[in-house]
Amino acid sequence: MSRRGWAAFAGLLLAYLAARRGFFAGRGLRPNSFLVYGLERGDWFVALGFVLVAAALGYGLRRLLDETDGLRLALWTLGLAELAAYTWGLSLELASRVQPKPAFGAVFIPGGWRYVLAGYAVAVVTLFVYSWLVIKIGNRLSGRRRPVWPLFGQGLTHLLMWTLVILVYYPVLQVVSASFDPRNNLFSFRKVESSWLLVRAKVLPALDHVSWANYAKLVDGVVIYPWQWAVLLLAVLLLLAALLLAWLGRRGGEVYRVWHGRALFGFAATLFVLVVFLSPDQFTGVGTESKFLLWVRNTLLVSGSSGLLAIALTATAGYAFARFSFPGRYPTLLTFIFIQMFPGFLALVAIYYLLSWLDLLGTFTGLLLAYSGGIISFGSWVYKGYVESLGRSLEEAAYIDGATRWQAFTRIVLPLSAPMFVFIFLLQFVGTYSEFIMANLVLTGVDKWTVGLGLYSFTTGQFSTKWGLFAAASVLGSLPILLIFYGFQQYFVSGYTAGAVKE
Amino acid sequence: MYRHPPGLRGYVVAITLLGGALVFAFAAGSALFWVLETAAVAAGRPEGVPNWLILIASAAFLLPFLFFLARTFPFLTDWYYLLPAIVFLLVFTVYPIALTVYLAFTDYSGMRNGLPDRSTETAVVAVVGPRITLAADPVESLGCGESCVGQELELVGGGHCGRFRVVAGAGKTLTLDRAPSFEPEYAYRVNAFHFVGFKNFVFIFKNASRALWPVFVWNVVFAAFTVLSTALVGLLLGVLLNNKELKLRNLYRTLLIISWALPGVISIQMWVALLNKQFGAINRLLGLLGIYPIPWLLDPLWAKVAVLLVNLWLGFPYMMTATLGALSTIPDELYEAAKVDGASGLDAFQFITLPLLKTAFVPILLASFAFNFNNFNVIYLLTGGGPAVEGQLSTAQATDILISWAYKTAFRSEGQSAYGLGAAISLVIFVLTVGISLANFRVSGALREEGRR
Repeated sequence: MSRRGWAAFAGLLLAYLAARRGFFAGRGLRPNSFLVYGLERGDWFVALGFVLVAAALGYGLRRLLDETDGLRLALWTLGLAELAAYTWGLSLELASRVQPKPAFGAVFIPGGWRYVLAGYAVAVVTLFVYSWLVIKIGNRLSGRRRPVWPLFGQGLTHLLMWTLVILVYYPVLQVVSASFDPRNNLFSFRKVESSWLLVRAKVLPALDHVSWANYAKLVDGVVIYPWQWAVLLLAVLLLLAALLLAWLGRRGGEVYRVWHGRALFGFAATLFVLVVFLSPDQFTGVGTESKFLLWVRNTLLVSGSSGLLAIALTATAGYAFARFSFPGRYPTLLTFIFIQMFPGFLALVAIYYLLSWLDLLGTFTGLLLAYSGGIISFGSWVYKGYVESLGRSLEEAAYIDGATRWQAFTRIVLPLSAPMFVFIFLLQFVGTYSEFIMANLVLTGVDKWTVGLGLYSFTTGQFSTKWGLFAAASVLGSLPILLIFYGFQQYFVSGYTAGAVKE
Repeated sequence: MYRHPPGLRGYVVAITLLGGALVFAFAAGSALFWVLETAAVAAGRPEGVPNWLILIASAAFLLPFLFFLARTFPFLTDWYYLLPAIVFLLVFTVYPIALTVYLAFTDYSGMRNGLPDRSTETAVVAVVGPRITLAADPVESLGCGESCVGQELELVGGGHCGRFRVVAGAGKTLTLDRAPSFEPEYAYRVNAFHFVGFKNFVFIFKNASRALWPVFVWNVVFAAFTVLSTALVGLLLGVLLNNKELKLRNLYRTLLIISWALPGVISIQMWVALLNKQFGAINRLLGLLGIYPIPWLLDPLWAKVAVLLVNLWLGFPYMMTATLGALSTIPDELYEAAKVDGASGLDAFQFITLPLLKTAFVPILLASFAFNFNNFNVIYLLTGGGPAVEGQLSTAQATDILISWAYKTAFRSEGQSAYGLGAAISLVIFVLTVGISLANFRVSGALREEGRR
């Protein structure tokens, strides 16, 4: 590109920026984007004018610069300039909406960000000096010529990662610490005396009043029958056994793996018995919060059964799509995928109507049925892929031995499909655990609520007094999903990102 | 073994047989249900039996019928593998969608919900054939409005009940479309809902500047910004953590994934307290940095920023994991070959990593856009759509997206339970969502490799 062309380009851009500055300053407005200004105020001439200027600029540049890319260059430059202007204007607007008054009772350090920035600068310099010394000394000793940058880059990466970890965990830390502090309600002016600045500012929790009182309130008045304690004990023992067997199985030994599976199955079965036979009559506490365990039980019941239903509905369909070749297989598959485009909860009015007509409002069955449609297409599609990856040789051998199709499916393919079923189950389980819109629509009454609905009643009701309880309930309510997620991380990661990995 | 009728004919035959079986089972199930209902009413239970029995009754007819059908047409058994999925899709996905289309053109609402209005109870004093005489003036006591002609009534008496349409009226005497088969004692008006044509859509577009446009623009900005911000952060972290020399990289990955592992319905509500202006933990931290308390959830503009930040916190681990997954599929040989050819690390990143990431990422970005376009939880649980903006509908406030607008219109007090209008808004979202999904299929080519067999 010629120097003259660049100069012309820069001149045009400056003229444009000056014109815009004049336009907005003359009207007493914050500096903004022409396009957004035009669209927001319905001043279509301004919006159209911006587009015309961009087009003219591009056309002119194409001539001046003798470049075919002139149009694209102009559009990018103008677009970025407009975006920067809009962001700047937006920041000014946002800043103007903050009252310059520190919060009552909070620690406020004017210009505190300068200290943090300086701290980071010191850290970066230290890292550089450290890497430089390490590499240079190493080079001198070994006689090699390694560059400093990789080690310095790793140091910077560690710095960034720890900053991010702190930022990401800050909310979690606040909630967990609030759950152990019975005096803590959100709207408290209470000062904390400490020699630590961060503790005084209530950024770090003051650990002087740690207690289980919030958790105790959540289980207040819960009557658990002796046989339920026994089943619970059995479940815990089975889980421990499963963990032990998994650890043994990792060092080899087919026997351990078989028993590991059986122990896990036993754990699931005992848990199922506990969940199903826990009844609302066992919750005799006064406040709504004493129903928390019932909400957990409801959630586990709904999510668990929708996970099982998902497997039941998708297994045969996925197998048929993978192995059969009847006429109409492909159009049906396309229809399934087409239906998946419609998120079921969008039809919420119709589902509400349907369930109210079927007299299923306020029942777990109704919610279960409302959830059932969502997973079918995706589940069948994933399971189809899995069966195709299994290979046909085993089934063909079975056919030679005289097996029917149904036998080949149930005796050979089903036992091999456990990993995929686990994934489909977990997908539906975790998805419905976090579901709110349908549950809020279908389930009415404290005894029917799920965890999400119960917590919502904390946040919308008398929140000021229940922040500690809310925190405790959040911690307990998150635990099942957290354990499942970290326990079965591989399933999630490989399953969710299947779209990214094209084999 | 058996053979299918070939080609299109086989498809049509199978679909017809299965559809016929379903229709037959539903008809027979309905008939059985009607018998049960009549028996229950006669036995002194005026509310009858629960309507879900119709599903059980239909299934009870369907199973033996399918069994006999398979005797005659053995090739149909292949379809039986698909039948559970198809039936559930039909009843709980396809039918609700069709119903949404229908309800969008009606005035179905909390006031017009198709149920009898018990406050309009009026005693019936005389019955002659299809003519009934009421104890009071029907227009007033039944609350008919202009005239009772054309309205639907529910008559109850002696443990029986039935619905009748009024075809003519004179004074206290009404003529029904047929003679009641029992001795009615009381009459109630049914809050019927009606077909109203495009009225709901006219309302949406007439008030577009007060709801549809601002909500739509914010919805697109919300979804697009979420996708871009999570993808940028996720890509950066993924590329950094893919460095095999980096110590502790698995620990970082496991630690940073936390916001994905926590159930969203809980973590979003947690943020409501953290973002409180006077007492929230976020403003406490910012106070240390010398930043004045920010009205996160109180100011319309800041609320949008808060929603975007919380959604970034929620969404980046997924993008990070997706990046790591995509990077792990790039074979090391490519980089080694590039090194042999004299490419620098930056060259390798620009010409190997980025192009390969791009192909993997486009479908993920589009899917993420489609998901966030309808991300009800973040909006509803964090801000409830608020704070209020002057001049907009009370159901469509500063941070409301289309789905939360539809939900609030249909099911919250500020929307006055306008189910029909809510269905109409849902229909608009359907059209937009399908557009996004079609674009996704086109770009990702998910179906291309799955050819005819």
